[in-house]
Amino acid sequence: MNRSWYAPRRLLTYLLVAGIAVTALFPLAWMAISGFKSQNEVLRSPFQFFPDVWRLDNYRLILADPAFVRAMTITFVGAVIFTVASLVVNSMAAYAFARLDFAGKGLWWLVCITPMFVPAMAILLTSFVVVSKLGMLDTLAVLIIPGVAASAQMFFLRQFYLNMPAAVEEAALIDGATRWQIFLQIFVPQSLGPFVVVGIASFLGYWNSYVWPVLVVSNPDLTQIMQYLATFRSARGNEWGMLMAGSTLAALPTILLVLIFQRYIVNGVRLAGIK
Amino acid sequence: MLDTSTQPTGPVTQVAGPNGPSRRRRRRDAKLTEQVPRHLRAHLTAYLMITPMVVLLGIFVIWPLVYAFYLSFFEMSFYKDAEFVGFDFYKYVLTDPEFYESLLVGLKLALMVVPTILVLALLLASFLATLSKRMAAFMKTTVYVPAVVSSVVAAIIFVFIYQDEGFANWFIGLFGQGPLAWLNTASTALPAVAIPAIWLGFGVSTLIMLAGILDIPESYFESARLDGANFWQRTRYITIPSLRNVILFLLVSGLTLTIQEFQLPLVMTNGGPVNATNTPNLYIFNSFRDATPYATSYSLTAALLLFLVIGTISLIIFRVVSSEKSSDA
Repeated sequence: MNRSWYAPRRLLTYLLVAGIAVTALFPLAWMAISGFKSQNEVLRSPFQFFPDVWRLDNYRLILADPAFVRAMTITFVGAVIFTVASLVVNSMAAYAFARLDFAGKGLWWLVCITPMFVPAMAILLTSFVVVSKLGMLDTLAVLIIPGVAASAQMFFLRQFYLNMPAAVEEAALIDGATRWQIFLQIFVPQSLGPFVVVGIASFLGYWNSYVWPVLVVSNPDLTQIMQYLATFRSARGNEWGMLMAGSTLAALPTILLVLIFQRYIVNGVRLAGIK
Repeated sequence: MLDTSTQPTGPVTQVAGPNGPSRRRRRRDAKLTEQVPRHLRAHLTAYLMITPMVVLLGIFVIWPLVYAFYLSFFEMSFYKDAEFVGFDFYKYVLTDPEFYESLLVGLKLALMVVPTILVLALLLASFLATLSKRMAAFMKTTVYVPAVVSSVVAAIIFVFIYQDEGFANWFIGLFGQGPLAWLNTASTALPAVAIPAIWLGFGVSTLIMLAGILDIPESYFESARLDGANFWQRTRYITIPSLRNVILFLLVSGLTLTIQEFQLPLVMTNGGPVNATNTPNLYIFNSFRDATPYATSYSLTAALLLFLVIGTISLIIFRVVSSEKSSDA
């Protein structure tokens, strides 16, 4: 390749990469930067990108609000329980549908897969009626349990299990292993990749949810983080610095999750088999 | 990609297939265990394994859905018993101009968001496919990060950006425009809601397109390059035709998802100004919160009608995508 042609092309690639990255991440960076600005700087005219002095005041103030810390903690605890419970419920069903044969399988498959096509809005009101009749309002359970069984995730895991070779399973059966042993000792340990993908989806789904908590939880001890932010915005909407600081902290766990597991997520798109 | 037919998936599907265990297997199983034939034990195990899923979905999805259909035939009231009204509410919804108005808003939003995402994702994915491994990994993570941000946080960030002295007005000021009251002007409010929707959605579409592009045999691009085809010609004659199914999937799923968008307008504008951002689901959601029983039945019916349309569309995409898969194997 001709070098004089090659060098500017490389430079152009770097510029494009930097430009795309800056544009894609701008809203997040802008949020974090604004958190460092004082109240009279945050929406100042003439416009300026960076604060005169980088102050931690907003971050300190929001972290000193017990309601914020409580919302972050309770949402995190809920999200972890939710993620583990989803993995257990969905992977078990996925294994059964992929690898076992049983009477009425077609019917049960229909029951488990139909919910994938039901938009949340169609059942929002009646779900609310159901959970209130069950006496679940204002509990941690009402935030966690109704969403645990997820058809799409079960379907995704089932696709993965369908593609596992049958030889291992047959050898284990001849050795007298039960189906539970095969599932727990052979299939689960091999599912790390897909588990990370659906686990992250569960965690994000719980952490980012807003509408359901608004409907079913009014006890301040159970306020979820997105609820807290939306309330803050409508009640103290002019304190942009603090709101941006709070939003930054609320977005941080999800972004960290992506950075930690980036390898799996990108592969997850391939695992999903959309092509 | 490996041809899946060379992998030993055949026997598995047979074992798990709907026609019951093969005779050979049953005989072998019977020899192995004297007391309970293994295929019966698998029944019990299988039921135990699907029970949590079936019970949870039954209580929290299937039953609410059936119940919603049931309720849509009754007029509820605080003062008297629910009264059977047949298809009355369906008639009200289908003749209500406000319902159609909200559908139009949803459709407009989808038409702003989805094509933009598709073009953006195609360009980005084409570019990412040319990068070195390390740089591509960095870029994949970068474009994915916005996708994990919650709608509420995105809505708050963009409300901040659209403030009078905010970033958006500074930016258009560079071109001698504005300032605009973005969220308070009927003509700019919907595009202003579309931008965070695009920002939240482009990452996943890009990664899916990229996976599709990487599956196109490199030799196609090689020979096109040798023939002197430029980037646009390669995109037009190789990339787009090869990605036809991916693009179709992203288009239809994007449209159905965006028509249902309501958290962004809920936090950013609550439907205003003058219903300019009142998407169907926001309209339904706000009528739920309207405490009158009439509004409740009405919005329930509207939600069901929307579900019938959107559910059917998703079912068709699902069919197309999964039949694509099975014809692959």
